[in-house]
Amino acid sequence: MTLADAPLAPPVPPTPAEDGARLGFRLTLPAQVLVLFIAVFPLLMQLYISLTDWSPLAGVAWPRAWEFWNGFANYSDLAQDGRLWAALGRTALVMAVCVPVEFLLGLSLAMLFVDEFPGKRVAYSILIMPMMVVPAVAGYMFFMLFQSGGPVNGLLGTLLGRDIAVAWLSDPTLALVAVMIADIWQWTPLMFLILLAGLVGVPQDQMRAATLLGASAWQRFRTIALPRMKTIMIIALAIRVIENFKIFDTLYIMTGGGPGVATETISVYIYEVTTQDLIWGYVAAIALAILVILSVAAVWAMKRMGRAAA
Amino acid sequence: MSAIHLEHLAKRFGGFTALKAMDLRIEDGEFMALLGPSGCGKSTTMNMIAGMETPSEGRILFGDRDMAGVPMARRGVGFVFQNYAIFTHMTVRQNLSYGLRMTGRPKSEVERRTLDMAEFLQLTPLLDRRADRLSVNILQRVAIGRSAVMEPAIFLLDEPLSNVDAAFRAVMRTELKQLQRQFRQTMVYVTHDQLEAMTMADRIAVMDHGVLQQVGRPIDVYNDPANTFVAAFIGSPGMNLLRGRPVRTDRGLAVDLGVLGVTPPLAAPQARAAEQARGEVIYGFRPEQTTLAREGIASPVSFVERIGARSIVHLGDGPAVFKAVFENDVPAAVGDVVRVLPHADAVRLFDAQTGKAL
Repeated sequence: MTLADAPLAPPVPPTPAEDGARLGFRLTLPAQVLVLFIAVFPLLMQLYISLTDWSPLAGVAWPRAWEFWNGFANYSDLAQDGRLWAALGRTALVMAVCVPVEFLLGLSLAMLFVDEFPGKRVAYSILIMPMMVVPAVAGYMFFMLFQSGGPVNGLLGTLLGRDIAVAWLSDPTLALVAVMIADIWQWTPLMFLILLAGLVGVPQDQMRAATLLGASAWQRFRTIALPRMKTIMIIALAIRVIENFKIFDTLYIMTGGGPGVATETISVYIYEVTTQDLIWGYVAAIALAILVILSVAAVWAMKRMGRAAA
Repeated sequence: MSAIHLEHLAKRFGGFTALKAMDLRIEDGEFMALLGPSGCGKSTTMNMIAGMETPSEGRILFGDRDMAGVPMARRGVGFVFQNYAIFTHMTVRQNLSYGLRMTGRPKSEVERRTLDMAEFLQLTPLLDRRADRLSVNILQRVAIGRSAVMEPAIFLLDEPLSNVDAAFRAVMRTELKQLQRQFRQTMVYVTHDQLEAMTMADRIAVMDHGVLQQVGRPIDVYNDPANTFVAAFIGSPGMNLLRGRPVRTDRGLAVDLGVLGVTPPLAAPQARAAEQARGEVIYGFRPEQTTLAREGIASPVSFVERIGARSIVHLGDGPAVFKAVFENDVPAAVGDVVRVLPHADAVRLFDAQTGKAL
């Protein structure tokens, strides 16, 4: 080192901004480690296992799953798995029926509950009760209700004036309908609550002003309430779409995915493959594939809805 | 056709009576101000006229049509809310044209009438601005324009100027008057500000605690208040009200005000009224209708407010306090004893028991 190379000034201390960045990193470190363990690590583990033919019966622990390495074979199997795609389609069908029905019912009820009427508090309590029922219990309830000698047939019989003995849960189509009814019964209250919160937030004086200017109820809803409820509607729909995609507990207790595979949704299918077939490498591949599909769909939907809300 | 007739109109909310049997006739094309302190029932009356509240008793007639059961959307009234209730997610243009669009007027008509109204209220440059980014003064105009563009036969305004600044309030008072002259609506204007009521209204209806106290032209209400409430409420400051007992003096009938001594003799009409009074009376006179004179009521000055054009002198202490207003400055200092002479023809007497004018 020559004299010319020697530092002319003492080293520059870190600027406050750098300092702040470093402090920020240290402060968020615990949270980052947590995220690493709850999100990144399981995901990597899943990816690793999905590339093998490993099963818990293989006799080795999962870190040694590479012994069963089979590359992308699971993923090519998955593309040809008819039962998987049928389950996905069924899940989409349930969603396409349940979510809109829950939304419309919830919205109508919310509109009803914006105004005062006698007995409102009691009606309100009764209305949100289904949401509080443990899904497994709800499943058992509907399982009993839809028995061929059960109350649903009994009620229909009384209404129609003849004996009804519909085998709800053993008919492939009716079983799906029954499952949808149970989901709508249990989750309309959530839609109702969220949408009611949105409706209550609509300024009543603006609604009155619109009335005095001659707007009809529908016009008031469309021009005053709707623009203010857009965001909350998107949130309500997003919550129900995500939840409904994962439909499992109520349904499994009611039908077990049957008859045959008539009510087998994606969650039921994964459960079956996991617990009965025990091919966990393949399960990991399915789960990852669905995660990718859902993420892409979610990003696309968010972008669209963001544009609609703007 | 658009006269408003209130017959024994009453409104109760549970055990609370907001309005007691009110009778009032508002003529077609008249500008009527409902004036009173908060909670006097003026807004309740207005809301019933608009159809937002249902009367507990009585009838509301527009012309000779009973409005019972007619929903607010079909009453054809314009209504300006105290907080304006502007549609904040719309532009000024969309706000102004809202009623016309919702009632399905042809596009060209909507366009023309919206532009005319914007021109009238000087909102043209702001037509495409979003309403949530406008000042209170502008919102106020939009609120008036949004109702006025429908050309309602009856226009109800609920304290429309209470949120805007003083300078703008003066401008709006003139504009509202112009608006009414142009469209000749029947206007009902609710306010607690007597200046607004006095300057704009053809007649004012003074209310207190759900009871209509007095109806009349502003100047008549000011000069001849029906009772002590109206006397004290109208005027700034309100009328001086001093309790006393009619006494005979060698110069005629006067009122013995106790510690303040005996008033100068009453003028003939007041003297006749005092003759009929049993017991105590209230001796009332307007602070601005006084002069300093030797024969006046003697009292020590407790405080002087000098507000430029005039001075308000506070006199007396204890229950016997009153005020006097003088043009220009007065050479009175705190502690001085001055003699204030009410103009004889401006003195009003009230029954001390009922508060009613004698």
